[in-house]
Amino acid sequence: VSAARESDGRDPGIEHEGEPPASDQASPALPLRPAVYFLRGLRRGLARGASPLEALAGVAVGLPAEAREAFEAGLRRLEGDFPEDEWGFDEGFAETVYPLLELMYERWWRAKAVGVANVPGHGRALLVANHAGVLPWDALMISTAILREHPLPRFARYLVLKWAFDMPWLSIAVRKLGGAVASPYNAIRLLEEEHLVTVFPEGERGIGKSWSERYRLQRFGRGGFVEIALRTGAPIVPVAVVGSEEIYPKLADVRALARLLNTPYFPVTPTFPALGPLGAVPLPSRWRIEFCEPIETAPYGPDAAEDRRLVLELSEQVRETIQEHLLEGVFERGAPFL
Amino acid sequence: MAGRRILLTGVSSYLGTEIARGLATDPAIEYVAGLDERPPRTRLEGVEFIEADIRSSDLTEIVPRLRVDTVIHNKIVRRPGPGVSARAAHDVNVIGTLQLVAACERAPSVGAIVVRGSAGIYGAEPEAPQFFTEELARLYPLRTRFQRDVGEIESLFDAFARRNRDVVCTMLRYQPAIGPTLDTQVTRYLSLPLVPVPLGFDPRLQLVHERDAVDATLAAVRNPVRGPVNVAGPGTIGLSRLLRRAGKVALPVPRPLFATATLAARRLGLASVSPDLRRLLLYGRAVDTTRLAEEVGFRPRYSTPEAVEDWVRSRGSRRITTAVGELLPGG
Repeated sequence: VSAARESDGRDPGIEHEGEPPASDQASPALPLRPAVYFLRGLRRGLARGASPLEALAGVAVGLPAEAREAFEAGLRRLEGDFPEDEWGFDEGFAETVYPLLELMYERWWRAKAVGVANVPGHGRALLVANHAGVLPWDALMISTAILREHPLPRFARYLVLKWAFDMPWLSIAVRKLGGAVASPYNAIRLLEEEHLVTVFPEGERGIGKSWSERYRLQRFGRGGFVEIALRTGAPIVPVAVVGSEEIYPKLADVRALARLLNTPYFPVTPTFPALGPLGAVPLPSRWRIEFCEPIETAPYGPDAAEDRRLVLELSEQVRETIQEHLLEGVFERGAPFL
Repeated sequence: MAGRRILLTGVSSYLGTEIARGLATDPAIEYVAGLDERPPRTRLEGVEFIEADIRSSDLTEIVPRLRVDTVIHNKIVRRPGPGVSARAAHDVNVIGTLQLVAACERAPSVGAIVVRGSAGIYGAEPEAPQFFTEELARLYPLRTRFQRDVGEIESLFDAFARRNRDVVCTMLRYQPAIGPTLDTQVTRYLSLPLVPVPLGFDPRLQLVHERDAVDATLAAVRNPVRGPVNVAGPGTIGLSRLLRRAGKVALPVPRPLFATATLAARRLGLASVSPDLRRLLLYGRAVDTTRLAEEVGFRPRYSTPEAVEDWVRSRGSRRITTAVGELLPGG
């Protein structure tokens, strides 16, 4: 903690009685000093008759600017004074874990984003990607790529399989990080609120892909995502994610256990279930996220959502685009884990 | 046009009394009758109290005699209070509604029926859409006794509306209400000294402020529309955020033990948590209120977070940080 930063963040209008000199705080031999100082200041504040909250805020003034900010933000969170939107997206939480997401993106997976400019800077858009892995890492990495690389960064929302909302903790994390249940009603509402929405039309079939099936796109259902895009006039941006299909290499599937736990699959990977919870740590493959040319749907008009032929055609077009770019991307990227 | 004549069932419940008071002060309304088994706790100016059991067939005589143009059905038991068996509550809900519908068939003067129903019919499901619109009822099986009651009540009025095309039936689907003077299952649960919550879950809840709960019914009486209408404060609030706003300490309980924990709270006479509320605390529920705003023309004054704020303010509760401050030495 630098003394210079501390004096920068200091409010000159507030008295600093009894505050230890900055050199004391910098002394590494006494890590307890700040804590003692803090408690002493707090007691003094309370003795003066200030309310506990004011006293806390008073001693917080003496802390370095950054620590103070973090401390005050922590206090506010403890009071429930933080915004959550009606979907339960918690911006403060997302900001807190963003460094972790960036670490995964940059260091763990050494991800490279291509064609981010194809994501519209304003308004609604449907990002359609290939899906793999039981935890929605691919959705989070797409959002991270847009936050890091796009000139107009914003947090892309995403739709996840329903059972994520039936899992302790996972349900909280997914909701606070902009996830919603994979339901057409959610997709339409999010798009009408002008969000970016990532969907995975492969769905359960995607996360159930075995190691030998990686980067082979599964069937795209009945093209429900195209109907949603047509109905809302949102452009479709096909996204080819290379790397996500190697993070949890599924070697086998224990059906009986899956049925018992009420999950769609019970995957056996090199690390799971052999290493227990450690098996949830994804393998460090190298990622390449490619955003392809958007397909405009607005010219067709909302009524075109009923046109089965058009829906299937567009669905097939998106699927082919992603498959093509996946194969190219796998080649471009080279060795998966080096 | 002569003033309107209105019959309100369940006048003695807290919200029933408030609705009656609102009706009585409306100059467009000429006559208000309030029906219940016991008289309201406070004297209601300008409301004729009719003592009758809604389950009895007396209703078929009473309702036509009153020559009312609008019936408000408020006698729906959301959670049986002490001394009321689940069986009796079910009887009031289903047999009571049946008798009322039968009575309305005999009363040609009735032109509109407004039911203060429940959004409980949507259930609380992990795979549910994040916002239920009115056409999404019965997407999932009706799992609890109360849900089945609500399902039956809605079916009875649907059938009535189909047979009597000239009568406008409004089914208001209420999210749980909260407010300074309200004493319900939800407020009692939230007032527990230690609030048991399911471990690893933090559902989005949606509530309606008690003032808005009353005004929504009054708005629907002024402007009845056909079919179901969701009633809720816009927005949602996470359970953990709600508890922190209220300065409450949550007690996380693993899901398999959660039912037992709430049962223990009931045994201790602290608060009872119905199976409906239990599911709500796991998965949460929110509804879309576009129809309420655009067709009924009612915009709630309090959003869900604001309704919670108002409830917290009225309790004058202590914040966690305040409590921590008091524990410190030298304070």
